[in-house]
Amino acid sequence: MAMKAISWAACSLAVFLVCLATAHAEETTGALPPPAGQTVAFTSDIYPLLQKHCFACHGVDVQESGLRLDRKQAMFAGGKSGPALVVGKSDESRLIQLVTGANEKQIVMPPEGQRLSAGEIGLLRAWIDQGANWPDDLPQRSKGADHWAFKRPVRPVVPHVKNADWVRNEIDAFVLSRLESRGLEPSPEADRPALIRRLSLDLLGLPPTPEQVARFVADPAPDAYEQCVDRLLNSPHFGERWGRHWLDLARYADSSGYEFDTPRSVWRYRDWVVDALNRDLPFDQFVIEQIAGDLLPSATIDQTIASGFHCNAMLDPNLRWEAVLDQVNTTGTVLMGLTVGCAQCHSHKFDPLTQREYYGLYAFFDSAGISNFELATASEKAARDALQAQVDAVKKTRTEHEAALRETLSTWEASLSGEERAKLPQPALAALSTTTAERSPDQLTKLVAARASQDPQHQVLSREIDERARQVPQLPATLAMRLEPRETRMFVRGNPERPGEVVVPGVPAFLHPLGSNEKPTRSDLAHWLVAPENPLVTRVTVNRLWDRYFGLGLVDPSNDFGVQTPAPEHQDLLDWLATEFMARGWSGKAMHRLIVCSATYRQRSSVRPDLQTVDPNNRLLARQRRLRLEAEIIRDLSLSAGGLLAATLGGPSVFPHQPQGVLEDRATKATWTISPGADRYRRGIYTWTWRLTPHPMLTLFDAPDASMACTRRDRSNTPVQALTLLNDPSFLECARGLARRVIGAAASDPERFELAFQICLSRDPQADEIELVNALLQEQLAELSGDLVAARKIAGVDTGTDGDVLQEAAWVVVCRAMLSLDEFLTRE
Amino acid sequence: MRQFESSQEQTRRQFFGRCALNLAPVALVSLLGQEAVASPTSMALPDADGPNPLSTKPPHFAAKAKRVIFLHMIGGPSQLDLFEPKAELIKRDGEPIPESFLRGTKFAQIQEKQPKLMGSPWKFAKHGQCGADVSELLPHTAQIVDHLSIVKTFKADDINHAFAELQMNTGWRQFGRPSMGSWVSYGLGSESRDLPAFTVLLSGMRPRSKSANYGNGFLPSAYQGVPLRSSGEPILNLSSPEGFSAARQRRTIDVVNRLNVKRLEATGDGEIAARIAAYEMAFRMQSSAPEMLNLADESASTLQMYGIGDVSQPSFARNCLLARRLVERGVRFVQLFHGDWDHHSNLASGLPSQCKQTDQPSAALIKDLAARGLLEDTLVVWGGEFGRTSVAQGARDATVGRDHNIDAFTMWLAGGGIKSGQTIGSTDELGCFATADSFHIHDLQATVLHLLGLDHKRLTYRFQGRDFRLTDVHGNVIDKLLA
Repeated sequence: MAMKAISWAACSLAVFLVCLATAHAEETTGALPPPAGQTVAFTSDIYPLLQKHCFACHGVDVQESGLRLDRKQAMFAGGKSGPALVVGKSDESRLIQLVTGANEKQIVMPPEGQRLSAGEIGLLRAWIDQGANWPDDLPQRSKGADHWAFKRPVRPVVPHVKNADWVRNEIDAFVLSRLESRGLEPSPEADRPALIRRLSLDLLGLPPTPEQVARFVADPAPDAYEQCVDRLLNSPHFGERWGRHWLDLARYADSSGYEFDTPRSVWRYRDWVVDALNRDLPFDQFVIEQIAGDLLPSATIDQTIASGFHCNAMLDPNLRWEAVLDQVNTTGTVLMGLTVGCAQCHSHKFDPLTQREYYGLYAFFDSAGISNFELATASEKAARDALQAQVDAVKKTRTEHEAALRETLSTWEASLSGEERAKLPQPALAALSTTTAERSPDQLTKLVAARASQDPQHQVLSREIDERARQVPQLPATLAMRLEPRETRMFVRGNPERPGEVVVPGVPAFLHPLGSNEKPTRSDLAHWLVAPENPLVTRVTVNRLWDRYFGLGLVDPSNDFGVQTPAPEHQDLLDWLATEFMARGWSGKAMHRLIVCSATYRQRSSVRPDLQTVDPNNRLLARQRRLRLEAEIIRDLSLSAGGLLAATLGGPSVFPHQPQGVLEDRATKATWTISPGADRYRRGIYTWTWRLTPHPMLTLFDAPDASMACTRRDRSNTPVQALTLLNDPSFLECARGLARRVIGAAASDPERFELAFQICLSRDPQADEIELVNALLQEQLAELSGDLVAARKIAGVDTGTDGDVLQEAAWVVVCRAMLSLDEFLTRE
Repeated sequence: MRQFESSQEQTRRQFFGRCALNLAPVALVSLLGQEAVASPTSMALPDADGPNPLSTKPPHFAAKAKRVIFLHMIGGPSQLDLFEPKAELIKRDGEPIPESFLRGTKFAQIQEKQPKLMGSPWKFAKHGQCGADVSELLPHTAQIVDHLSIVKTFKADDINHAFAELQMNTGWRQFGRPSMGSWVSYGLGSESRDLPAFTVLLSGMRPRSKSANYGNGFLPSAYQGVPLRSSGEPILNLSSPEGFSAARQRRTIDVVNRLNVKRLEATGDGEIAARIAAYEMAFRMQSSAPEMLNLADESASTLQMYGIGDVSQPSFARNCLLARRLVERGVRFVQLFHGDWDHHSNLASGLPSQCKQTDQPSAALIKDLAARGLLEDTLVVWGGEFGRTSVAQGARDATVGRDHNIDAFTMWLAGGGIKSGQTIGSTDELGCFATADSFHIHDLQATVLHLLGLDHKRLTYRFQGRDFRLTDVHGNVIDKLLA
């Protein structure tokens, strides 16, 4: 699947083709391969052959020489050079002559790619000789018409199960019925400490406090679990946790990417996402506002900010089309679960998306621009404009003055003393040594600049410009979409330098129609995406929720709902969830609640030997799964354990500690001044992202690079991660915080161990675990008592009594180990 | 089509079945010996079917090269002043370039409609038994030409550095794709138990696309290039914090891993075994990386051969020597970046300066590898993301330079399965376009993978519903390069 044909640059293609033709003619001149000796069937023998060799240039997208071979009438009508075939006489048919190279003056077809074999030519000949029968009732080529995911989900009947007691909601009935049919039992429910840690990490990305765990464990209420879920769903940190998931899809970052990677202000979009999830903005509206918030009738400021979704594309002013392509591809991936990008260059190989349809989607976004949307009142803007006008006026005066300096250059040149000449910069000197007639425009400019730098009036004007410019206020702004109508042309073979036919906005024909609007806009597209007829958006969305909770989507790969992905084992559950989502008014929180309240979700995550062979990937869901937490969450968790986390919501991105040298040598200078006060301890979602030079810790733990939508993060497990957890100053700081917290809160070592385990793992330690950490503690106390210099370094303190420092240092060693545990980094 | 994803899942399961369920817990704990040497690595990183993503994997077919050193000359070295003597260009120096040479040509910076030709001011001679053309700027490279295949006709697609770098290193002109070293470590795993499989060394100006040139793209981060930093810590967080002696670090990791083993027993999750192994490797790295970086055991004659004066000073020469030390220790892919060869101006002073920094060490690396028997199965690649024009940019004074040429530029390859002592490809009389054997960057990538025993069409990774490869949908192995 070429996403971009690189062969554009083949300017010598014609020469190449002639050479090929000559070479091939030598091989094939002479007798044609004989016709096949069998009765040929068009559907099974001929159509696939034409499809393989011919349709790329003579099909739905392109019709070279006016010839189209994928439709009966078109084929018999022939192309610009005449009829393609003479029925009954294959040896006289142009088609056969061209594919065999029988005509030496002609290029052999196909000019690129695999030639027809003698056997294939034989079949074609036999078909023509036998009357070139093309059945009229041959179904139109409609890949995917029967594909499960392109049909609207039908609400399935909830199955009946034997062990009805296990079922807490419909999800469980679907899961259990499959398990029962295979004679498998679900896993027991996880214990309460494990459950509350799982819920807190999944819903908030923060650990429960030891008090919350204790209260939950002791809560006698029959709906203690549901109450806990509701409390978490109502926490403002819910929006941060799930907002970060959405930002992966939105390829959110604080800079524009590419070599110059300039900073941008789009954090208000990030805050909008967090807030929208917290107030449970219905998902259809959530989508509409992000695709076309700026176009809504009397759009609010918030809705305009929401349109920042597609402003998150990487931006290079010279590569505008790349951002538009990314907007199309992101829409396809994120909302439709389809890899549409292939169709930039050619009709999709597997899915029924044509190249023309791709550009139909492209046209929606092509007629949009990314603007700096100012969040200020009209009078604030007017005041700013007035000040800017003053700057521009002085600039104009200066330009006029420069023109005058240029006019009188020769006078100035003649007046220069030897001393003055010597002070001139090298390029100007070089220009002076060139005769006036031979000076290049560049040299002239350099001379004028050199003269201007010595000219008092020019200096006065420049100073005035600087002073006035300083008074022009920067108004707060965020990136937003705005309507910029354009005529859109297809790119021939996906090459932006080869504009082709004009296309109008439109949606793929294999999905529901767009409606009757003659000139559809992004707003129509947005509404089309979340129309009840859309078979993909709800399925893709609930599947992604499922993936986050169970580590594997019901559909896997979770980002390909195309025809290559067969209906999943749990299609009934998927479709039930999709219809339920709409039935509940697209409420995200309702779906979260439904999933986490199911018995399926509450199961233990331990691996079961009996499932190892029957269901190694846990598709049947007879257990939960352990999941290594995301980069930002590992940071949040450590800060939280160390008592350092600043839980403030929203605002401009912040700059926590980062190793030296990360920003070195960039084309555009970037800064990283560590944020003052508590801001350096904010959650990972708020860390500033330079796309070109991202924070190393985040990259190391698989945070996406924001170059395109990331639908699923990897969970790698590497030695450099281990080095970071053990040695990075930020993590050491957390270990010190945790040590102080534990020492301050409890008097005895056993109580301290208990608290450390409760803070880090939300559970009590077992006896042998205490034995291990206690051995470490005692040993460190003994060792460090003989090396108080080391103790002070470990504890990171200059003051305090030797005894206190010793205690603290030994506990830092223990806490650093606790924060490095696999269990600490894992949602179990 | 090989799908490593699923095969890894499978081996992980096999491993888990073998180690975590069948091995008695006692046996596991006993493997976590007190001593650093008696590490559980022998348990968790046992062999090719261990759970580690960097476990060695067999190639698709017999490999000629086991490892690669790629010397990326950032900015685009001027092939016309280094490897391509053009008498015609000298003869027509100062004449406007004929229009027939401008068709389809793009310049990055030159605005003139018909810029003027510029012959090389440097002298060329034929060297070695193969009689390769090398200019006086590369006296040391001239001594090793019988080891090299010099290719004069590589072509790239992007006239801008940032994207051309990406195409050279990731096969794609945009950000977001895995780099060659990542693909190779994904395909073959690592032969080093205590150093990163894909190691990056930077000197001079950094590449414009920064770490995207050695990033893992959508591959797991285990395959990302690990830069050895030239100042501060060589690997991020390599050294333990102050106060944490090696013994203290060892004890800490012991406790961490003993607790991890307990969790492994309780949950049966093979991922924990992989984490145990990662901590053990991290610990080994803490001593092996400084050992690798310590050049005290290199002889004076070796240092002299590379032209290293002060071993503590970062330089391309030092990086070349480190590259040899890395491949000696089983590192799969070493990439050096050195800039800046982007001589739009001041060619007369800038180019000799770059050559002085790189010529001797590059040649020393080849000699050194050959002397140690490593060149046989180590592939070395030298070149920039594109070359430079036959026309002058700027005034014809001391500041004159050359613009970018993406249509034909020179690279050389040596070692691991490369035919030695030959020059491939020819360009027209002015050095603008290839007249025979034009090779695309994708062909280079296909060839590098081929020499490593990997079929570039079969080395795929499924991402967002599509099988991606280093060469996208292009690339042909360059047969003429093969020994």
